[in-house]
Amino acid sequence: MKAWLPALLAGRLIRLAWLLPLAAVGLFTLISLAPIDPVQAYVGGRTSQIGPEQRDAIAAAWGLDRPAVERFANWLGQLARGDLGQSITFNAPVMQVIAARLPASLALIGLAFVLSFVLGTALGLVAGATRGRWPDRVIRTIAVVMAASPGFWVAILLVAFFAVGLGWLPACCATPPGQLAAEVTLADRWRHMVLPVATLSVVGIAPLVLHTRQSLVAFLDSPAARHLSAHGATPLHLAFGPGLRHAAGVALTLHLAGAGELFGGSVLAEAVFAWPGLGQATVRAATGADAPLLMGIGLATLLFVFAGNLLADVAARLADPRLRGPA
Amino acid sequence: MFRPLSTMAIALSLMLPVQADARPLVLAIGGEPDGGFDPIMGWGHYGNPLFQSTLLRYDAGLNLIGDLAEDWILSEDGLVWQLRLRGDAMFSDGTPLTAEDVAFTYNTARAAGGLADLTVLKEARALDATTVELELTEPRITFVSRLATLGIVPAASYGSDYARYPVGSGPFKMVEWREGEQLVVEPNPHWHGGAIAFERVSFVFGSEEAGQALARTGTADLVAVPPSLADAAPSGMKVLHVDTVDNRGLAFPMVFRTGGTTAAGTPIGNDVTADRAIRVAINQALDREALVALALNGHGRPATGPADGLPWDNPEAAIPGNDPAAAMETLETGGWTDTDGDGIREKDGLRAAFQVLYPASDSTRQALALGASDQLREIGIDAQPSGSSWDEIGALMHSEVVVLGWGAHDPSEIFYLHHGDYAGVDYYNTGHYANPTVDAHLEAAEAAPSFDASLAEWKAAAWDGETGFSLKGDATWAWMVNLDHSYWVSDCLDLGPLQVHPHGHGFPITHDLPSWRWTCE
Amino acid sequence: MSDATKLPLCLPEHLRRPQRRAKRHGIVALAILGAVLAGAVLLPDGALSVNAATRAQPPQPAHLMGTDLLGRDIAARTLAALAQSVQVGLLAAGASTIMAVVLGLAATFGRMADHVVGLLTELALGLPHFVLLIMIAFAMGGGTAGVVVAVALTHWPRLARVLRHEAQTIAASDYVAISRALGRSRLWVARHHLAQPLVPQIVAGFIVIFPHAILHEAGLSFIGLGIEPHLPSIGVMLSESLREIMAGHWWVAAAPGLGLMLVALTFERFGEALRQLSNPAGEEA
Repeated sequence: MKAWLPALLAGRLIRLAWLLPLAAVGLFTLISLAPIDPVQAYVGGRTSQIGPEQRDAIAAAWGLDRPAVERFANWLGQLARGDLGQSITFNAPVMQVIAARLPASLALIGLAFVLSFVLGTALGLVAGATRGRWPDRVIRTIAVVMAASPGFWVAILLVAFFAVGLGWLPACCATPPGQLAAEVTLADRWRHMVLPVATLSVVGIAPLVLHTRQSLVAFLDSPAARHLSAHGATPLHLAFGPGLRHAAGVALTLHLAGAGELFGGSVLAEAVFAWPGLGQATVRAATGADAPLLMGIGLATLLFVFAGNLLADVAARLADPRLRGPA
Repeated sequence: MFRPLSTMAIALSLMLPVQADARPLVLAIGGEPDGGFDPIMGWGHYGNPLFQSTLLRYDAGLNLIGDLAEDWILSEDGLVWQLRLRGDAMFSDGTPLTAEDVAFTYNTARAAGGLADLTVLKEARALDATTVELELTEPRITFVSRLATLGIVPAASYGSDYARYPVGSGPFKMVEWREGEQLVVEPNPHWHGGAIAFERVSFVFGSEEAGQALARTGTADLVAVPPSLADAAPSGMKVLHVDTVDNRGLAFPMVFRTGGTTAAGTPIGNDVTADRAIRVAINQALDREALVALALNGHGRPATGPADGLPWDNPEAAIPGNDPAAAMETLETGGWTDTDGDGIREKDGLRAAFQVLYPASDSTRQALALGASDQLREIGIDAQPSGSSWDEIGALMHSEVVVLGWGAHDPSEIFYLHHGDYAGVDYYNTGHYANPTVDAHLEAAEAAPSFDASLAEWKAAAWDGETGFSLKGDATWAWMVNLDHSYWVSDCLDLGPLQVHPHGHGFPITHDLPSWRWTCE
Repeated sequence: MSDATKLPLCLPEHLRRPQRRAKRHGIVALAILGAVLAGAVLLPDGALSVNAATRAQPPQPAHLMGTDLLGRDIAARTLAALAQSVQVGLLAAGASTIMAVVLGLAATFGRMADHVVGLLTELALGLPHFVLLIMIAFAMGGGTAGVVVAVALTHWPRLARVLRHEAQTIAASDYVAISRALGRSRLWVARHHLAQPLVPQIVAGFIVIFPHAILHEAGLSFIGLGIEPHLPSIGVMLSESLREIMAGHWWVAAAPGLGLMLVALTFERFGEALRQLSNPAGEEA
């Protein structure tokens, strides 16, 4: 019965096998094009203490004095051995930087994923069930407005209101200051997550609401639903019963396929909340001209998007057996 | 300075038993080194290196005093430093610090290609357990600032993870570093410098905004704040404005435009500012107090040189500004007169006009450019402020006037800014200034037999009675202001005497952190 | 009882409705666009300048949206920033649309071309949108040019796919075969049979890309990789507003965000209406 799964996996792995090297070449080319002088970015405000000779020494230490082709060959060689190179800004292996910062980002993304899925689907169902009436209009308007709001602006408004205005929630960081990791309570961790997760959920919620609403509307127009409603089922009842079953698979597929966008959103959310995750590292890497780290992050997020898409494919097939033919 | 309150508090605290839950100190002053706490890669340049100690250190008056080194001499030819170490220094893991560790640190840093510039070091050698010798490739007295900033690492345990798990002979040892969030340190029981009043110190990183939020909730004891926001300190905290040499001035193109270009193809020279009368008149005319009020909201002090108040500054080289009459006389004498009645002077058909470039993202420099422009118009000079990006400034800084900023605890900056060899190199000598006498003074300073002896030469480079780079001499710059660095400090925290701060707001304030004290219970 | 049963009764009106709606949304969107651009040009001299006497004032008659820490009027700055954003957005969305047209149509020139375009699409969609934007903006060294290129290089795949599909459908149709049989050149066929049905799609595609372009531009500028900080831009204003928010100056963030949202919203609605117009069945699909 699950015969489709190995075939799907094999097909996707083959795609990954040619996508990864292509992306590696593409990323290296992109980053080599950058006109930013990494040595100047590294020296930064210390210009007066780092003489020209030392600048040359820094460039040599990073291998910047060698031609691009040689650097690329070196990088590929390292990559083949599972080594992403050394981050300039963080003075540590790229792998280690990513591994250290990924969990904080994944916590945000994971929670936002679940929250926006639950909220988005529920709101979509309510909207579909009350089509044309005020709840539908209100929900659709909110969804469209959210889709048009820059996520980082929402974050700033949340900070202004809940952190500065009301003082209910912390404005930044993942933990309260002055405490060791071991001393931070779980309640504190959750409190610090509320605003960033809320911000990030806004990114994923709008398409889900509109899509769920549409698939519910289609379902309510179907003969089966008309039959049920003729027997006295209310639209809300239909929506959260058979309608949910009908819409959830499609919604999950859509949501998984869009999970990569949550990472993009987390770059901005982490910038506002000073969240110590991979998004913050991405911005540091870009502003600090840290090419090895940028390439590492590029490849890591590629895998992230790939996994999201793969899960979306699996979800789609679980929800709709007709798709289980040859992939 | 006598502080009855703090003295009493210290006395009291000595009598009381040590409290188990002594209040931890929480600082939100930025300064997180992304690359970790490895002095060899450049950690600990300003402020306290926390985990390591250095051979020498600057006191609050920027005089050199010993830290790990008990005494030190420089050879006659200025090439070899010999330092004798104190015998009781220990790393936080309990192993003793020896001359071998010092030699290892210096040799490794020279070859590492990090942010510690030791290119002038030839070799470091341990002569015995407590004597170390540092040989230079050429006499360079500013090497002492390396002696005062390069923290010593243990040769035995230094490795690739050192930056994240530092071990040193400094006042603190690391407890936990959560990157991007905070650093928690505790006193190093083996430190040779005495007792520290805090059981734990936390440095909160994240953003500058985050620090302010913490201050408002009363969770941070010291917060770096932008001067424009500083006046509104939250309750329980006071505003502290620290004097700095974080300066801003107008850098003049010093040569006439002869068609020369830089390696990048951008033009060099400006026929107006190449005339000394113009530069001197600008320096005479500028009302720096007014600029401080306008651009810094009063939080700053007038600047007359690149290192105001530092030991290598020459106060005699300064001239009082805010004297438009003198400025106009200088211009008249120099042949600049307003012949066509448009309010702007001319000389041989050349208008006294130039652009004043500033990075438009920097509102302080913008205000300075606008303010200076207004003041100069009154003496008949048309200085046109122009907001640009750093890229554009990089292309035009050799042919137009630019608002630039410097300020280091290291006189080699004076060398880089004024020596002919650095003409057109990076942002150093943007004006392509070259005066053989000044070059000779600068070289003599670097070749001086001792740091104290070099001071006279640095001062002479600014003004030796006949010439110099300062306002009295060639007037290579029109320095305008030194910024204040603003902090909110807990009412209960005594920071003791403070240094004049360098360029860079935030972490430098920790320089004397081990001697800070709580003043209330 | 439900709308579902009523729907077939109002079908004629339902078919007319999208057109009127598209027109209505279009007028609103273009009016806002025009107002922003004209408003920015008409700003009086000195409206953007620093003024020490009016630092950090909340909204009031003289400064409708308040002032920032340097005493600059936020309403005026927002207007100038929006004009900047809109221009960059138009340029970037235009470039992206051109890319989509070229690549979408190129895909119809044989299997090889189709494969290459498919590959490029996979690559462009392989990274999270915003990460790819950061990479390209970094490669361009940041700045306005960087934003335009980054947005142009990342927003084409969706439209390209639609165009490729349409073009292939048309190319396979009978009337194209007849035209070819009558000896018409490829170019003639492309101009007469392809261009006409595709133009509305392209316009709708452009309108849909535009709000994304300005939102992403603001995001890039916010993290310091976008429009140069000395030019007024919404992203830079919001990033500057962060520090003032902590002091309770909420108004500093209000106007720029609202303005950006308003522009994005009206164009999103316009694009959606246009899309439904060119694909009427698509409303419920």
